[in-house]
Order: sequence, then structure tokens, then C-alpha cells
Amino acid sequence: MMDATATAVQIILAIWHFIISPEFFIPIVFPGLITVLVVLLGLIWFERKLTAKVQLRYGPYYIAKHVGGVIQLMADLMRYLFQEFIIPKDADKRVFVLAPIMLFTLTLLPVIAIPISSTFTAIHSDLTLLLVPTLATLAPLLVIIIGWSSNNKYSFIGSLREGYMIMSYEIPMFISVLAMAVAYNSLSLIQAVQKQTGIAWGLVINPLAAIAFFGALLMTSSRFPFDVSEAESEIVVGPYTEYSGIFFIFCLGAPYIKLYIYSLFFSLVFLGGWNPLVTPLTASPIINAILSGIVLLIKAGIVMAVAVYMRTIFGRFRIDQVLKLGWHKLFALSILAVILSLVLVGLGVL
Amino acid sequence: MSEPETVELLIGPQHPGSGHMRLVAEVDGDIIIKFEPNIGYVHRAVEKIAETKTYLQVIPLVERPALADASNHNLGYILALEKLLDVEIPPRAQYLRMLLCEINRIHSHLYGLGIFGNMIGSSTMFEWAFQDREPLLELSQQLTGARLTYTYIVPGGVRRNLPADFKNNILKVFSYLEKRFVDYNKLFVNNPVTIARLEGVGVISKTDAARIGIVGPNLRGSGVPYDVRKVEPYCAYNEIDFDLITEEAGDCYARLLVRREEMKQSIRIVRQILDKMPDGPYFADKYMKMVNPKMKELVDQSGVLRFPALFTALKPAKGTAISRVEASRGELFYYIVSDGSAQPYRLRMITPSFKNVAGYKAALIGQRLADVPAVYGSLDYFPPEADR
Repeated sequence: MMDATATAVQIILAIWHFIISPEFFIPIVFPGLITVLVVLLGLIWFERKLTAKVQLRYGPYYIAKHVGGVIQLMADLMRYLFQEFIIPKDADKRVFVLAPIMLFTLTLLPVIAIPISSTFTAIHSDLTLLLVPTLATLAPLLVIIIGWSSNNKYSFIGSLREGYMIMSYEIPMFISVLAMAVAYNSLSLIQAVQKQTGIAWGLVINPLAAIAFFGALLMTSSRFPFDVSEAESEIVVGPYTEYSGIFFIFCLGAPYIKLYIYSLFFSLVFLGGWNPLVTPLTASPIINAILSGIVLLIKAGIVMAVAVYMRTIFGRFRIDQVLKLGWHKLFALSILAVILSLVLVGLGVL
Repeated sequence: MSEPETVELLIGPQHPGSGHMRLVAEVDGDIIIKFEPNIGYVHRAVEKIAETKTYLQVIPLVERPALADASNHNLGYILALEKLLDVEIPPRAQYLRMLLCEINRIHSHLYGLGIFGNMIGSSTMFEWAFQDREPLLELSQQLTGARLTYTYIVPGGVRRNLPADFKNNILKVFSYLEKRFVDYNKLFVNNPVTIARLEGVGVISKTDAARIGIVGPNLRGSGVPYDVRKVEPYCAYNEIDFDLITEEAGDCYARLLVRREEMKQSIRIVRQILDKMPDGPYFADKYMKMVNPKMKELVDQSGVLRFPALFTALKPAKGTAISRVEASRGELFYYIVSDGSAQPYRLRMITPSFKNVAGYKAALIGQRLADVPAVYGSLDYFPPEADR
């Protein structure tokens, strides 16, 4: 009898250890899948509520009145779940169905490389600073595939626009990451955070890189004023024109997840990561990780809030203007950021 | 056989940026090389239906095509009709007509501004402009009893007298609107994204504008100083002091600026109207005599007109009449042929939007695909008005 109990306890403990091991915890629980879904619902609710406030409306209201309609998004999700999923006759059917699923998954993928405390990482690598943006560049290719498989002129134009934009935001983004790698003298996110503990936040060390990265962040996550690939009044949500039902949700959710991942990354590189929670508060690594992760999430939340706030103040640029901005302004800015980092390193400040 | 190098894009009629019509654009890459607005999707045969209605029943009919600009359409029709009826309009009625028309002009420009904002992605501008129409609708309701299609202007005068506290209310609304115009400038008009999207886009040159015959704010945005209120004053516009707004650039931004300034001019006009409002009757004596005495008592008490029995079968003299008024979107033209019966033999209305549709081709060839909504918004095109 005792043996059976002991075995049961052992099994439960083993499961518990598996759950709190970084290899499972980070991709699935926090900051991975479960947190992503909660953040997604919260972020879209926040965006709608904030926009409504600025526009003198109520926003989500009737579902769960006393908490400001916070579960409105659940209701919308249910409605989309039960909507008929229409596959156009002329579409490339297999790709048409698979692409949004892969888009959603691949957008989520970079989360595995994000550490949430100095010891709690799913991937023990010194290259995480490079790994996160690299994995994040996979998803936009799927958008192009979606546009192609839909066999619709608007989708096609939308994905072409996305294709042009990839070039104009990814290069400044990588160069500004390079600037920070030079400044921190490391390609590891953990060491980047440690460096920021010693000197100052990345935002203060190299503001040019931060601005260039934030601009690229707005472009990659299709926030206003860079909403050109989904422009509703021009090309009817671009690549996703033909989608309906839950697949439409996958498509619409992807930019938000991208925004979430890049916001976490931005907080790690420019906003000091889990600073000021550097020294472990408790003996348990999982509790430490959650505490510092919450600090990180709050910082990322602020970045996301700023990004979604852009909707209320700006209209939409034209595609050629976005490309011009990417190549003429952001690219130049990111090169300057690299020079600034080199100068700082040369002067021995860092 | 070589592959075609251009793509023909059908924008609408089921498209968030097309309105009730189809825009056929042929694009080479991102550049538009051919553009055809395909109108007629909301044709309601207003002119034909008018031939089966009595003259009074035609009023609500001609109001319907232009939702936001009902009273200007109403006024144009009545001005033409009154030429056949030979009736003296009391000065107070003239001023009341102008009052409602200018309120409508602000309302219509706000409507256009909101749509314009939405077209280039500024949803806040859309919401703000649409909400700020509300006080104007309330004012119209106080004056006429209806919010949108008023049927306020009738042969011989207007339907209701000015309510007692109307002046105070309208001044309150105007001080609110003037504050809001400052907000609009901050959010939308001076927004760098708006300027980047609109400046130098969809240029219609002065000669082109005159040649293709676009009207109203679009014409004035191209630098042609033409406004029926100035050129051929009707009602009492010759007694009112206001500026003719023109912009030289002829692009989308110029048209936006013209509308913004015209709203301010309309406020100026209404202020003068309220100051100069003459006392006296608001309905022509010729018809007032025909109202039976008991009814007349009621009319004098309430300030709300009861039509004389004659109006059910109003028969103007045989002949033709035209009228021109400056509606919010431009010059509005009416032509009535009367054969002496109770129904018009023929009614022709040439609406400003119908003339402005020519602006698309002139403005859009050689522009980018993303400029289609920008030009659409800037022309303030309203399909039901064009299709009638």
C-alpha cells in the first residue's frame, strides 16, 4: 500500500518536474502558448477599448458588463469557430488550409529562445539574440504563400506588399540588433540583460537602435501607420481576403503574436529585461523565473500598448512611402546606431 | 503569345472602399493606367417617378438622393417651381431657408470628412466627424421636426417658424464645433501621415477642372473661384458677407482644406443670418389666405404650418423653369417642364456628384493603387446622389 502511494507521489512529482522544466514551461505555459492566448485576448480587448475611449465610444461592453466587456473576444472567437469555412474553388486547397496553421505556429516559434530569468531558458545557447529575430523571419514567407494560394487579386497584391515590406523592415531590424550586440559584446540575451544591469538600459545606451527597432516592430506586426499589407479600404485585408472562420482568426492573430514576441525581445534588449529583479528572491528557480517573467511581461505590455495606440492617431501610409521610410530612414538610422555602438565601445564606455 | 503585363482590378460594388459602385482599374505594377468608374448601382429613377407625383409629393423624392444634404436639394427644386408659380417669398422665409441649408452644408462636409478619414485609415477621424454631426442633426430637428430629410422648404416659404431658444442652441453648437475643428487639425489635417498621403496626389489642374466640369469644393480646390452663391445669388446670399474659398494646388489635400474652411464660412454665414433675421411672416400671403381661419389660428399659435387645400393639386403655369443652387457637393441644377397639370411633365436634376464623377479619371491616371481611396474621399463622392 505504501509502495503504491509512493509510486503515485513519484509519478506526480515527475510530471510536476516536467511541467516546471524550462523545456516544457517556456514554450507551452509562460511565455509560450497559454500566455500567448491570454495576452492575445487581453491585447485585442485593450486595443478595442483604448480606441473606443479615444473615439468617444464604449467599445466592448455587454459581455461581462462589470469588467468592461473583457471576455467579448471569447464570444467573437466562438462565433468564428462556428462559422463555415469556405475554400474557394480556384484556390490551391492544400496550401490554402495548411498555410494559416503554419503561419500561426511559426509566428509562435521564436518564443522558445526567450529566457525569462538568468537561469531559466529552454535553449541553452549563446546566440539567442540572433535566434529570436531569425526564427521570426520565417512567418512572413507564409503570408506570401497564403496570398498566392488564395488565387485572388487582392490577396495577391496584399502578399506582394508584404513581400516588399519584409525587405524594408528586416534589414534595419537586424542591423539594429547588430548595434546592440556590439554594445553588449555578446549574442546572448541573458548576457545582454546582465550588461544592462551593470551600465544602463539599452534604450539609454543606444537610443538610435531602439528607435529603428521600434519602427521595424511596427512594420512587421502590421500596426498603423504601416498597415499597408492588410489595408481594409484599399485591398480588403490583403492576403486574408478569402479566409473565414477559425482560419481567419489564425491569420488575424499572427500579427498580434508577432507583436508580442517582438515586444518581449524589445524589453530584453532595450528595456533591461527582468531588471530590477536581478538577484533571486526565493530559493525556488521556478518562482524566481515567474517573478522575473512577470516583470518582463509588464515591460512588453507597455511596448504593446504603445504599438496598438498608434491606430488611434495615424492613418495609413502608402506602400512606396513605407519602403522609402524603411530604406531611407530606418536603414540609415540603424547604420548610425552601429557606428554609435562602435564609438562607445572604442571610447571604453561599455 | 505573351503574358499580359497589366492587371484589371474590379473594385466594388462589394468593397469597403468603393461605395455603391464599381471602379474598374487597370494597373501596371502599382500604377493605374486606366480607370473607369462604373456608376448606376443605386439608380432609383427619381426623375421618372417625379412625373407620376404631384408637385408637393416630389419634394421628399428629390431630397432622398442626398442624405446629408437634403435641404439644398429641396431648395433647388422649390426655387425652380416658384418661378412657375409666380409667388412672392417673404424675406424671413428666405433667411430660414439659408439657415437650414448652411447647417446642412456643415453636416455634409463633416460626413465627407469622416468618410475621407476612414478611407485613408484614420478611424478616429471617422468616429469624431460622424459624432459631431449629432448636434447639427439635433438643431435640424428643433427647427424642422426631422433629423435628416426635412421637407422644410415648401412653395411659398418654409414649414415652420424659428423656435424660441434656437439662437442660443446654435451658438452653443458652433462654439463646440470651433473647438473640435482645432482637434481635427491636430489629429488629421496636420498629421504627417495625412499630408504624406494627400499632398500632390490626385492633382486636377485648373484647366482640366474647368474642362471636365467638376463642381463645388473640388472645383474650388483646383483654383477656380466659382460658387453659385456668389455668381448668381439666390435667397438672400447677396446680403451676406462670406469668402469664396479656393486653393491653388488641386490635389487631395487642397480639397480637404477647402472643405475645412467652408465649414468655418458656413458658421460665419449662419451667425450673420441670425443677426439679420427679419421679422414677419414665413409663408407667402398668397397661400396663407387660403388656409381656413380656424387652422390659421392654430398656425399662428404653434408656428407650424398647415398646408392650404390648394397644395394637394398645385398647378403651376404652363412652361419651363430652371434653378441653380450651390449644394454642399457643388452646383445643383433643376429643370422643370410643366404642362399645366398637377404633375410635372418632366423633371431633370443634375446633381453635383454626377458631375464630380468625371474627376476620378482626371485625378487617378498615373497614380498608385493605394491612392484610389484617397481620391474617392477627397472628391466627397456620394453614389446615391449621382445615380438618383
